[in-house]
This record gives sequence, C-alpha cells and structure tokens, in this order.
Amino acid sequence: MQPKQSGAPGREVDLERVKPYADHQNDGIVQFSFTLPVPYGLAARKAAQELARKMGFEHPEVVHYQGLTEGYTYFVMFGECTETVDYATLSDEGFEIEYMSEDEIEAFASERIGRPIVIVGAATGTDTHSVGIDAMLNLKGFHGHHGLEGYRAFETHNLGSQVSNSVLVARAIELDADAILVSQTVTQQNLHINNLTELVEIVEAEGQRRRMILTCGGPRVSNELAKELGYDAGFSKGTYPYHVASFIVRELAARTAAA
Amino acid sequence: MPPRSIAPTLLGLIAPTQRLALVGLAKNTGKTETLAAILRELAERDTPVGVTSIGRDGEAHDVIDARIEKPRIVLERGSLVASTDALVRASGLTHERLARTGMRTPLGEVVIARLAERGAVEVAGPSAAEELREVSDAMIGFGAEIVLIDGSIDRRAASSPAVVDGLVMATGAVLSEEIEAVVAATKDAVDLVRLPAVDGAPASASTDGSEEIMLGRSLVLGAEPAEIAALLREHPSASTFNVEGALSERFLEGLLTARSERAGRELRIVVGDPTKVFLTRRGPDWYRRQGLAIEVLRMIRLQAITVNPVAPQSHRFESKRLRELIEAAIADVPVIDVLDPDYLALAK
Repeated sequence: MQPKQSGAPGREVDLERVKPYADHQNDGIVQFSFTLPVPYGLAARKAAQELARKMGFEHPEVVHYQGLTEGYTYFVMFGECTETVDYATLSDEGFEIEYMSEDEIEAFASERIGRPIVIVGAATGTDTHSVGIDAMLNLKGFHGHHGLEGYRAFETHNLGSQVSNSVLVARAIELDADAILVSQTVTQQNLHINNLTELVEIVEAEGQRRRMILTCGGPRVSNELAKELGYDAGFSKGTYPYHVASFIVRELAARTAAA
Repeated sequence: MPPRSIAPTLLGLIAPTQRLALVGLAKNTGKTETLAAILRELAERDTPVGVTSIGRDGEAHDVIDARIEKPRIVLERGSLVASTDALVRASGLTHERLARTGMRTPLGEVVIARLAERGAVEVAGPSAAEELREVSDAMIGFGAEIVLIDGSIDRRAASSPAVVDGLVMATGAVLSEEIEAVVAATKDAVDLVRLPAVDGAPASASTDGSEEIMLGRSLVLGAEPAEIAALLREHPSASTFNVEGALSERFLEGLLTARSERAGRELRIVVGDPTKVFLTRRGPDWYRRQGLAIEVLRMIRLQAITVNPVAPQSHRFESKRLRELIEAAIADVPVIDVLDPDYLALAK
C-alpha cells in the first residue's frame, strides 16, 4: 500500500485528490499552449481566453502570444484546474515497476537467476526503424545508458528491422529465449497494433506464451495497451535500457520462484 | 417484413456451451455489446456466470482512440469475475476474493472474485490462452454454469478448442466503408474459423519418405524457399504435412512456389486448430483451389455472428441489409445485431 499522504513535512498532499502544483499546494495552476488559425490581435487574445474557459480552466490568462505566420497565432496560457485525480488508487494498481540501477540489476540477476538471460529483439513487420530496439539492446545505448548488450546478466540477439513475426519467433525458440523485445515505431493506421497482435498470436500458437516474457516498445505503446494486446509489459517514450532490464530480471525471478 | 426464420436469442444459440469465447474481427465490432447482451439474457434466467477477458474490458474509453466511449460490463450479484485485484477493488463493489491466481499482467495480478452486489466492473484477465482455460475452470469450480471470455482487438487465441467449447464472432462496419468488403472480410474470417477437420486416422509423426511428414518448427516459421523446395524433393510421395505450431502465409506461399516445380501435386497441411493458421492476404478457399488443403485436428464451434452496423467516428450501414448480406454469404450461422430494436424486443 502507498501512503495516502506525501510531500515535505508540513505540506502534506492528499493523494486521493491531487491537483496541479505551481506556487503553492492545491493552487491547480496549469501552463499550456496552443495555436489558433486566426490573425494576431486583441480578438485572437480574447478568443484564446474564451476557449480556455470552455476547456474548464478558471481565471484563464494569456501570458504570451505571438503571430506564427499569416493568419495563425500562438498562445501560452495560465489557468486554474478545478479537477482532482485519485493518485492513491492508481499507484495501487500494481503496474508500478521498481527500477534498479545497472549494478543492482547485475547483482539481482546473478543472485536470483544465475545464468545469462537470453533476449531476442527486433523491429517487426514493415517497420524499418531500428532506432528503438538499438537503443535498448546495443552496447552504445543512448543518453549515456548503455544497452542490455553491455550487461553481464544478458545474452542479447538484435535481429534488426523489417523482421517478420514468424522469423522472430523461430529465432526465439531456437535460442531458447527468456524474453522477446519488439519495437514498433510506425503507427500509421494502427499498423503497430496488427503487428504486435500477430506476434503474440504466433507465440501462442507455438505454445510458448507462458515460457517467454513478451515486451513491446514504441512511441504509442503503454502498459494498458500491452495488457490489451496480451504482452507482459509495454515501454513508451522516456524508457531507458535499465527500465527494461529491471522489468525482465524481476519478472523472470518471479516466474522462476512460482515454478 | 417477418424474419426469414424464427429468430433465436443469443442465449438460445449458445445454451449448451460451458466456456464461450467472444472474438471481434477488429476493435469496435461490438464484442463488448455482445457480451453485455448475453449477460442481460443470463441475468433474466438467474444463471450463475463467470466473466474474464484476454485483454481489458469495461474501461470507460478506448485505449487506442480515446474519443470512443466503451460499453460498461454490468454483472449481477453472485457473478464470478477473473480480473486484476486493483480493477476489482476499483469497481467499489462489495466482493469476496475466492482465489489469487499468481498470474501477472501489466495491470497487476489476476484474482477470482464473487460479487456481493450488482454493478459495473472492469475486466482484465490473464494474457495467455492456457491461463484463460485455468481461470475458466476455476470459475466453473466455484459454481459458474457458463464462463464468458471476452477477446481483445482481433486476437483469436481465446477461441482455441483448447480453451473454449464455443465461439461468437463480432463483425461490423468498422472493417470497411464498403459494405461488400465487410461481408467479404467476415466470410474469410469465418472460413478460417471453420477449417475442416482432418478425416481418417490422426496424423502420425513419421519423418521418412512415407505419406505423412511432421514438419520442424524452424522450417515452418522461417520458411526459407530453398529449404521448402528441398523438403519436397526429399519426400516425393508425401501428401500430408503436419504442422505442430503456427502455419504462416509465408510458408504456404513457399510451398506453392516449390510445388509448381514438381508438377503441382496436391498437398494437405494439417494443423492443431484454426487459431494456429495465419492468413492475411488470401483465404483458405484460395489455397484449396491451388491444391493446398488446410485441415485441423480440432474444430471450433462457431455459434453465432453479431454485427455492429456503426463505425465510430466514421460511417454506418443499415443493420438489416448488413445482416442479410452476411447471412447470404455464410451458410448455417445466425447473424444478430444485439442493439437492433427487433432483437431487443425478442430478447425481452
């Protein structure tokens, strides 16, 4: 259970009714921006304020506005949000992953798994973008976090891009993979959904679903979508290799313990 | 105009089934509305029901297109549900937790609960087909007379005969703006679900040059044309190939190409059940005409088709016309629109 209160001493937050914070607790102040297809001027300013009010913001203010190009105006707004959100229930839903540092992951894996964890990854279908899968798997990684290849705990196989789902599954079976990592960057007409669905269905048809940890990643992937598609986890923008690594070692340890 | 036959209710069609899968051909084909209709009909007869989902159902908004509002799943007092612990608690309904399953999903662990009051619940069950069977059997053990398994997106795994005894398929306007294309796509999907059972003795696993060949996994999945050609050369008299796991379009195409070099002999491909066959470009009929017959060891019982004549945020068809076209194209399966006023009057 999460505590129902947080924040610095003397400034407790009610986690069942959380509001945006700007200057002080519960002021609800939000900064947001948008563009309207109208010429720069006082009428435009008024229109932006009126629209923000319709969005449900109280005391909306235009703090900055400028013409973008002929007939378009860009606004930065302040407004007061009157709604609250129940963080306590959400954080209780059980999909919060406790992340570990690289050293912690290595120590955890060596103690709890004690053998190289085999990971097969690819960008599947017609997707030519290997950037996501490379960032997670290759030694170089990104933003100073090296990929899973650089961990002693993992034996990684990056099949690259435009890999067909059946070939990916064939490789995973051949290598006796512990986890499959699939990346989908192209999302036009929900192509990523069709691709990800086909992969999980092939894994099922091969009778491997319970044997392998299935994870997917991409700009429009979330844990909710992962559940809907039948994956064990979904990783979105802002994911670093140690996030994926933390999930895989913990999940594998939990499965090993349950078996 | 009177219906062409005495129109049955969904419950009448699925009656003897203990485990029923609901599978949609795409998102927003009305799968959850169909589930809601069956639940209403069961409630009127006080039949104890268990509900689970391979995906996530009863959420307020669509996870892919947040503009689309989804139907809620309302369960009667005493109903069983296999969903994540957090979602059962978030329903706010009084319930008794009967079992933890140890099955983990991205939304938490799946538990089995009995509701002590009527209300709406979000259902997110296990993600693996095998686990769906386990929670279904557990709910039957706790007293459910029928278990309903809601599918997800267009996933078919839950409809495997290894999991359920029957299937209701949902189709709808969302598949295409052309009504004929909706009918054709529905027919292809039904042909796949109703692949014929292999006749004669069950396939044997011989690997020599006799009549039946068991194919290796990596050969079928990898489907390298040269390997497929070599296989046909090595077994000139083989007429039946048994596939243990998934059968891909790529393998079938490779087989066609390799076979044409060998004077196009007739071949039979035997798979476990229809959920193991992956066809997107052409239906099973097309392959049959080319001399490749796909057969299954275990069939799926398709008990009804439901239609959603509305494509959210887009277009709609006339319900009756869509139903009649599908009935004309597909033999022996009743087609129902659970939101059509005529059906609602009948189901009362």
